[in-house]
Amino acid sequence: MGLFSRGKNRNIQPGEAGRVKRVALVGNPNVGKSALFNALTGAYVTVSNYPGTSVEVTRGSAHFNGETFEIIDTPGMYALLPITEEERVAREILLNERPDVVVHVIDARNLERMLPMTLQLIDAALPLVLVVNIMDEAERIGLTIDIPLLAEKLEIPVIGAATARKRGLDEIRQAIAGYRPGRHVLFAYSRRMEGDIERVAGMIREDYPLSHRSLALLMLQRDDEVAALVRTREGENWPPIDEQVKEIVYNRRESFHLDLTMERRSIVKRLLSEVIRIPDRRHVTLGERLSTLSVRPLTGVPLLLVVLYFGLYRFVGEFGAGTLVDFLEGRLFEELFNPWITGVVKGIIPWAIVQELFVGEYGVITLGLRYAVGIILPIVATFFLFFSLLEDSGYFPRLALLVDRVFKKIGLTGRAVIPMVLGFGCDTMATMVTRTLETVRERIIATLLLALAIPCSAQLGVIIALLAKVPGALAVWSICLLLIFLLIGFLAARLMPGETPMFYMELPPMRMPQLSNIVTKTYTRMQWYFIEILPLFILASVLLWLGKITGFFVRLVDWMTPTMHALGLPKEVTVAFIFGFFRRDYGAAGLYDLQTKGILDPRQLTVAAVTLTLFIPCVAQFLIMKKERGWAVSLGIGIFVTTLAFGSGWLLNQFLLATRLL
Amino acid sequence: MIRCGYCSHEFAEDEGIRSCGKCGKPGGCRMVRCPRCYYENPEEPKILKKIKRLFEGENR
Repeated sequence: MGLFSRGKNRNIQPGEAGRVKRVALVGNPNVGKSALFNALTGAYVTVSNYPGTSVEVTRGSAHFNGETFEIIDTPGMYALLPITEEERVAREILLNERPDVVVHVIDARNLERMLPMTLQLIDAALPLVLVVNIMDEAERIGLTIDIPLLAEKLEIPVIGAATARKRGLDEIRQAIAGYRPGRHVLFAYSRRMEGDIERVAGMIREDYPLSHRSLALLMLQRDDEVAALVRTREGENWPPIDEQVKEIVYNRRESFHLDLTMERRSIVKRLLSEVIRIPDRRHVTLGERLSTLSVRPLTGVPLLLVVLYFGLYRFVGEFGAGTLVDFLEGRLFEELFNPWITGVVKGIIPWAIVQELFVGEYGVITLGLRYAVGIILPIVATFFLFFSLLEDSGYFPRLALLVDRVFKKIGLTGRAVIPMVLGFGCDTMATMVTRTLETVRERIIATLLLALAIPCSAQLGVIIALLAKVPGALAVWSICLLLIFLLIGFLAARLMPGETPMFYMELPPMRMPQLSNIVTKTYTRMQWYFIEILPLFILASVLLWLGKITGFFVRLVDWMTPTMHALGLPKEVTVAFIFGFFRRDYGAAGLYDLQTKGILDPRQLTVAAVTLTLFIPCVAQFLIMKKERGWAVSLGIGIFVTTLAFGSGWLLNQFLLATRLL
Repeated sequence: MIRCGYCSHEFAEDEGIRSCGKCGKPGGCRMVRCPRCYYENPEEPKILKKIKRLFEGENR
């Protein structure tokens, strides 16, 4: 296994004693088979490679209507005639495991494309139940599908469903449990085609999991595996069958497969003529309008700015980092909790040096816990809420398309939006995700830009909150960051040899975000973020305490002071930079403390914010950079980023001093 | 089931690519990567899974 490994749940639910019916779910990829499988089976599943292949097949057991069923989630297949290994495995399951019910899951929005496979399964005389899935999306775009009429025409049970929304599940269970084998409708092909099929099918004598008609069709399409199966089973009867197949194949040359495909399409068209109703003027939904607006540069960029203004500035910056932090950090911690805990600790521990560890200037409780709970937690909570809302609406792939043109100038493509967007959550994980980019060149550029100009959520929230209080400061900070991001990206793309790959992606529909999804994602991200930062903040407090009592910390501050002065910053800012090396958000919280103490004027605050944002990545990100890109690249990026951060800070300070802009 | 926050591909948690835990974060990043686009999706907390299963069990 590589760095990522596929999770497997090997809790197998044993079937009940007696006959366990076998149900195979088949269909194209991405039609909701797995959603249906999960809804039917729950957690009791087993994932294993199909014998002799690397294709995974998931099996589970389900109990309903007083019976136990073994449910098999087969790999995606487009037709009974296999091309890929996945399709081959799916057909092997139908041939070898003889399911009692075959549930064909299709996408309601693409009936014309998917029903030909239903015809093949009917031709094969398999015990078929058809699930027309994703009905909610089909209805949303104005399609009306007459499910009872489709069932009548196909003469099999047909259920309209939206399995992701649990719609139609009971009907599917009823259809599976109540399935009784009956006669199969025959959809006749042209006279010539029927003649060819009959000439081969009529010669087959033995019993097979698929009908003779289906076997004949597959052999006439030169399916070697089916031919081998028939040869083995038919024995002496095989040579005349083989002769007949060869003769028809020779006579029809390449046209048999094409003719069959065309005939199936025309049968499906006739079937659907009364079943499906497409509105003359298709209703354009609000989501579709928004989708179009968000990918066009003229409307997409203003829309992005509106999203950033309300989402980041007003909600995360003003509400999260302002109102919530004022309450939690200002009132709860500074006024109530810290004085109380300081009194308690001093009452219990008589030694001043140990008191300092817990409730001193860099105390584990008074600094570490206060930063984590009072400052960072409300900011990441509001950020992740905003992030989950955007994510669930389907905005991110549109953002990828919108920025693709700009990203190409800096050697990246829209695909790099994934690590960039994730970087606003945590740059360390985003650095790992750069491995999904196509070329090494892209990976290095993305790693560099993440280390340089993408602040993580907590750092971003604190900085927005700090700068929002000073008119113009946030604009200066944003412009600086954007210019440096584009300039360095542009230069990196020029200096590094290589082509920028193509980027294309299928746009999923824009949806109304679901409250349950947003709450779940926000809660999960917050939970893990908090679990992650709390021990690190405590460790950083302990290290700072050690640094203080040994005098190392004072020497480090003294050593860095000339650099701070060169940037026009007071000596105290050094502490925030030292914090920042442990974690970016820890550094930002340090800056927040300095601001509340009134140590920084608007110019100094802006210079410190820009420099700290660009400053060297935190320890965890640096280690991942080393792991992903090696020592040479990561050290190079570290040195470059640090130099550029202080260089940019110096330049900005000179610029602001000269222009008196702030 | 997880619906990918980026490409909307729906996949079972078992189909997703789990994190390796090598980033040094306590317990790993607890994310499940989409098998189609590799976007990181948060793993559903166990407590929420249990609550959901409880309701699903009642509905059956």
